[in-house]
Amino acid sequence: RKDVTGLGIDEEVAVAKKARVPNVKLDETRLLSEKGIPRLRRKAGELKFKGKGHEFSDAARLLSFYQLWLDDLFPKARFLDALGMVEKAGHKKFMHMKRVEWINEGKPQSSRP
Amino acid sequence: MDESQDIVHPEVRAHINSLVSALGGFSTFEDGRYVLGDSALEVLRDLKKWIRFYDEKTNRMDVARCLYDANVLEGDLLHILASWPESATDNKFKSRAALACIEILVPMTWPLDRDVEIMTVNHHRHMPVLQLAQINYKRLIINFDAAQILHTAVRTALPSMALPRTERTPRDEGIIKLVLLFLRNIAMIAPPPNVKYDGDESQISRSALLDAFSYQDILLTILTLASNMGEDFNQECVIVMEIIFHLVKRVDVTKLFMEEKELSKTKANELASMMSKEAAMHRPYNRRAPSRHNRWGTMIWMDRGDGKMSVVSGQDALLDAATRQQKMDSAKVFRPPRRARKDEMEPRELGPPVSLNTRARTQLRGFVEDFLDSGFNPLFHLIRKRMEEQREYILEYHYRQFFYLISWFLEAERVRKKASKSSQPTQGESDVRSYNLVASVLNQETFVMLNRSMSDAIEGKRWHELSAAMRCFTQILLTVQDMSESGNEDDEEIADNILNRIFYEEETHDRVAQLARSYKDQDFEYLDACIELTHTYMRVLEAYSKQNTDLQIRSRRRVRKKKKAAKAAGEDGADDIAPDVEDDSENDGAHAERQTKERKFEFARFANRFVTQGVVDTFVSFTKFYHDLNESQLKRAHRYFYRVAFKQEMSVMLFRVDIIHMLYNMIKGPEPLDKGNSTYKEWEELVKQILRKCMRKIEDRPQLIIEMLFSKINATVHYLEFGHEKQTISTS
Repeated sequence: RKDVTGLGIDEEVAVAKKARVPNVKLDETRLLSEKGIPRLRRKAGELKFKGKGHEFSDAARLLSFYQLWLDDLFPKARFLDALGMVEKAGHKKFMHMKRVEWINEGKPQSSRP
Repeated sequence: MDESQDIVHPEVRAHINSLVSALGGFSTFEDGRYVLGDSALEVLRDLKKWIRFYDEKTNRMDVARCLYDANVLEGDLLHILASWPESATDNKFKSRAALACIEILVPMTWPLDRDVEIMTVNHHRHMPVLQLAQINYKRLIINFDAAQILHTAVRTALPSMALPRTERTPRDEGIIKLVLLFLRNIAMIAPPPNVKYDGDESQISRSALLDAFSYQDILLTILTLASNMGEDFNQECVIVMEIIFHLVKRVDVTKLFMEEKELSKTKANELASMMSKEAAMHRPYNRRAPSRHNRWGTMIWMDRGDGKMSVVSGQDALLDAATRQQKMDSAKVFRPPRRARKDEMEPRELGPPVSLNTRARTQLRGFVEDFLDSGFNPLFHLIRKRMEEQREYILEYHYRQFFYLISWFLEAERVRKKASKSSQPTQGESDVRSYNLVASVLNQETFVMLNRSMSDAIEGKRWHELSAAMRCFTQILLTVQDMSESGNEDDEEIADNILNRIFYEEETHDRVAQLARSYKDQDFEYLDACIELTHTYMRVLEAYSKQNTDLQIRSRRRVRKKKKAAKAAGEDGADDIAPDVEDDSENDGAHAERQTKERKFEFARFANRFVTQGVVDTFVSFTKFYHDLNESQLKRAHRYFYRVAFKQEMSVMLFRVDIIHMLYNMIKGPEPLDKGNSTYKEWEELVKQILRKCMRKIEDRPQLIIEMLFSKINATVHYLEFGHEKQTISTS
């Protein structure tokens, strides 16, 4: 179009900002999802320790177990950072409830209340 | 610089320059000696007025800047002071000129710490220059060859000092104060942090300062003032304290009292251990350094279970699984948002650690011994009284310095005792009662003040003051403990009394527990002080409560009237449920009533308060610095973890992945603790035991796999540790 005002400056330009993609967080929903703690519990069965005399190699195995699990759960953060986030999420009320639940599941069902 | 763009008002500069040139100059006759101007006294007075009525009234630094640019110190003031020789002390005119010089020197060397919030553009413009200028002033004053400037300064105050206190006029007192402030300023000036002084460091170092102070008899002056505190001198106490503070801060006490041979041996050992530390630092890097050039392009598939693979590149990935995982981890770029952290190791406030040359060391050592023998008690006694009275000349930072100095001198006294004992074992009899020398800070009043300061500092979040107070408390405990082992009956009885008084108040126990629990990103100095206090307190208290099994403590708590009435029936049961009462009565303080009662102290219960998550976290964040900790610091951490895991049987508190990670890395990680370290063996054993316990626990109780991720909830700790619920004595 060749107008007097054809420079296009009169036309409105939409400047509405696109909403940013929300940051992915390592919070309790993620932690309680299928890839989170349920998976950790499942995988824990595969973990075998050699026992006495192999303390350090066992510890290395344990640490790498956690590291791989966290890398699957929340790939973008480093191990120690991710641990901090998980720890923080553990203070939530709902998590507390869940944790007590998990512990009670493992308790021997004794006669004492 | 273009004159039209001068940063200060051109008229100010012109005035100052003309005044400075009227002050005097070097004569062309008489071998180029300095000759005073005709109206030099008036000129000095004018300069003073400029400083007071232009700089200080309008809160600028223009005059100070002009004075620096005009080189008035090197060109005039020092020479005027030098032209008042010892032989002409009675010369009225010259002594007045000298005094006028000091009156200008004091504002010129005044410390430049301004509150950042009230700094103006002008301050920002001048301060960097003036800070360097002051260092320059210091260098010139303490290294001036033609005369003893500091000594001359003291001489101007001598006539006033010689008068009995009652006969001194306000002017006399002013002069004494002025001279002392001058000495303080000189002692205080140091290159600001993060500025590198590009001149000769040795001319402004602590050694040079001590040398000048000793050579010009300033140390003697300080000693005289300190030992006559309370009699001939009064108000001056805090300034004297400041001078001493700037002389001794950050000086290593143990090195100060070493014999020359021993010291050189220590230094050699230090060098050797540093070098081995460095070698140990390089070793892991060397071991995993690539053996080919950096474009060799190794690439590795890593099986991570569940049929998944990860890719890692670089030759070192071939080494072992741990390295591969570490490489995977360190390739991540995401950092969680965090508040700015202050994890510097150096306490910024006190400046860097000081190393003294041999001469300065002997001089300072002589001074410290004399001061302990004569000046310590009167000075600190008086200052404590003035602080209690809250005099207007006591400023906030004086508390900090007070506690710092007490801890420093108590340590010095202990080290001195030890040194003298080891060198002449038979000589112990002659200075039997020398704990008297520090008695003024071992009395009840000091403890009251220390306690109050600590609780005030906690409330006001003044961490520097708090860490000084914690150090002070630690040193008091150590001194008293030394006293109780001194073998002297009187001393032992006194020490017993003191400990009884310290440990009698439950508030003290509460405070130490609270401090250990509530560390949260303060600086390292604070953390270290906190750890040291916790360690010492627990050790001394444990030993003491073992000896005195019937130790009583006074616990003070609020009890609701209703509750009290209800409890009156079952009075005998009240003792056992003490901790529970606090929580619910906290919120209705209006109805609350203070109740004090004595109850038996049980160390086990007290120690249990140190196995909470907060304290564990404090010690963990301390141990994270294991590369930079010295052996005694590492020992403290070691003892604590040992106590948690084996004495209190609460190893569950340590079973958290990040703690296990830290402990493991201390021994087997990529940057382990130096094997040459004397505590390495103990750590290795401890970590091994803890890890073994951890593995066994995981096998016993698979739930721990989840709980290892979190801080433990009180309710579950006991179950995880022992496998059954806690047996609580329920009162209902």
